[in-house]
Amino acid sequence: MGVLTRIKVVPASMRKIDSIAEGAPMSTLSTLMTDDHRACDHLFARVETHVAAGDWSAARTAMRNFADALELHFRAEETQLFPRFEAVTGFSAGPTAVMRAEHAEMRTFLDAMSAAIDAGEADDFGGEAETLMIMIQQHNMKEENILYPMCDDRLALERDALAAALDTTLHARATHGVAA
Amino acid sequence: MSGANPGLGYDATPPFSAPLRFFLTAPLFGIAAGLLLIVDGGLLASRWTPGTLALVHLLAVGFLLQIMLGALIQILPVVAGITLTAPLRTARLTHIGLNLGAIGLTAGFQFGRPSLLLGGATFLGLGVTGFLCSAALAAIRAPKTRMASHTPRDLRLALGGLTVALLLGLSLVLELGLGRGAPLPLAVAVNLHATWALLDWAGLLLAATSWVVVPMFQITPAYPARLTRYWAPTVTVLLAAWSVALVANVTTLAATMSVCLIGAATGFAVITLRQQARSRRSTPDASFRAFRLAMLALAAGAALLAFPHPSDADHWPVLAGILILHGGFGGATSAMLYKIVPFLAWLHLTQAGIKAPNVKKLLPDVRARTQLRVHAAALATLLAAGLAPPLGPVAGIMLIVEFVFLQLNLVHVVRKWRAHLPRAGLSVTPA
Repeated sequence: MGVLTRIKVVPASMRKIDSIAEGAPMSTLSTLMTDDHRACDHLFARVETHVAAGDWSAARTAMRNFADALELHFRAEETQLFPRFEAVTGFSAGPTAVMRAEHAEMRTFLDAMSAAIDAGEADDFGGEAETLMIMIQQHNMKEENILYPMCDDRLALERDALAAALDTTLHARATHGVAA
Repeated sequence: MSGANPGLGYDATPPFSAPLRFFLTAPLFGIAAGLLLIVDGGLLASRWTPGTLALVHLLAVGFLLQIMLGALIQILPVVAGITLTAPLRTARLTHIGLNLGAIGLTAGFQFGRPSLLLGGATFLGLGVTGFLCSAALAAIRAPKTRMASHTPRDLRLALGGLTVALLLGLSLVLELGLGRGAPLPLAVAVNLHATWALLDWAGLLLAATSWVVVPMFQITPAYPARLTRYWAPTVTVLLAAWSVALVANVTTLAATMSVCLIGAATGFAVITLRQQARSRRSTPDASFRAFRLAMLALAAGAALLAFPHPSDADHWPVLAGILILHGGFGGATSAMLYKIVPFLAWLHLTQAGIKAPNVKKLLPDVRARTQLRVHAAALATLLAAGLAPPLGPVAGIMLIVEFVFLQLNLVHVVRKWRAHLPRAGLSVTPA
């Protein structure tokens, strides 16, 4: 948590917009984590918009916000959700190991996208961003369709407490961060 | 496949060649459809000419069904946790059956040869049944996890729709080839087969995919929850009621159900367009635009079916068929191919530990954009030929250009993929 709370991104209000709009309860791990996926997607879209407009300074800031949000999501999973899933199921080399490997893969794209923005290379950014977008979404599909429902089932006894802890972590930036 | 790791791991990713073989052979049937239009120029005058039936099956089976089954082999593990036990073997057998079936069926229609029709239907039946059995077996073995999305359920319903469409098609071929099909008037049997194939198979598959693909890849709000929960089961029930009414000759009920089904199909397309209009992505690419055109074509095609058409030779059914088959499903599958194929090339290189170029280096935007513009022009020409059949050969030329271009684009990605494989890797590339 110590590291996580130092990351500055956007207000929690923005990251909860979709769940409020859809009227979805924040009661399950699936809903909580899925909503955070969508919030990260919105931050990604904001980077694309600034790059398309040629506003490299705003793009740099938006990219930092997106990278921070994604990193926070990964860390919440890697340090809180996955360890509990692994402890309860005993699947330490199973689905969570695959998800961790995909996180590592996605982190390399964040660097490539930032480098393209620093160099003012819109085409390079577009190619890296599109590849990351598809990578993220196929990863999210697996989590949302398979892993999160498994977490809701297997972690039923501690679900509410775990959801509250994850919620605090994911929205830590709200209390310490600034808007994009 | 370990039960501990259902559909999540790299080991659940089928070999590239499993879906790729379908994607690479599909455009050849589009090219054949173009050639047929050149040779038999006036075939768009009616939906009942042998040439039209051949043309429809070149596009519906050779192109669309081919891409849909290839894509399903790839996406079933990811979106539904259904991992085929032997994806490569399933792909090989399904691919052979489907291709021989599509060739036999269309040749049988075009040349009026019952033996070719029966042979084609046998191969197609075996190929699709093999796929359905493999998917059903994997679905039974898949861990029972409550999923948030309705996509897995709707994919299963779509596979049910494919089964019904296949059985109705086989019955029709038995009737045409041996005079031993179901005891139904030919027009009724054809309408049943076409509607189950287009709506309960292709329509449900498109909707099930859209529930996840549109919000996630195009960054739109989620579809209305009630739509995703009820649309596919409602369509299936309405379709069953319509079928019973049609067979029992209860015309008022059949007409009412038919209007409801047209409303459901149009509603799906219109709501998808509305969702896409709310996309947060500020730079819609060619694939996104093509998907929107496909939705417009689907809505227009479905709406056209609502027009009363006094005779079978009327233009309306032909125009509706062009809009739905080529504009709607053809456009949507092409748009998806441009997302799927470069990403799979990237994914398989990355999984092999090779530094892969990004998807836009594997397939430059300009190539996809130009091909999809040709697709739009081909659709316009086909519609013109639907109104003025002598324009058929021009539409044929446009179809050939469209599908040759698509083939070249796909081959471009494959060549880039192979160029990045180490030499030793080439020898172990699955056939």
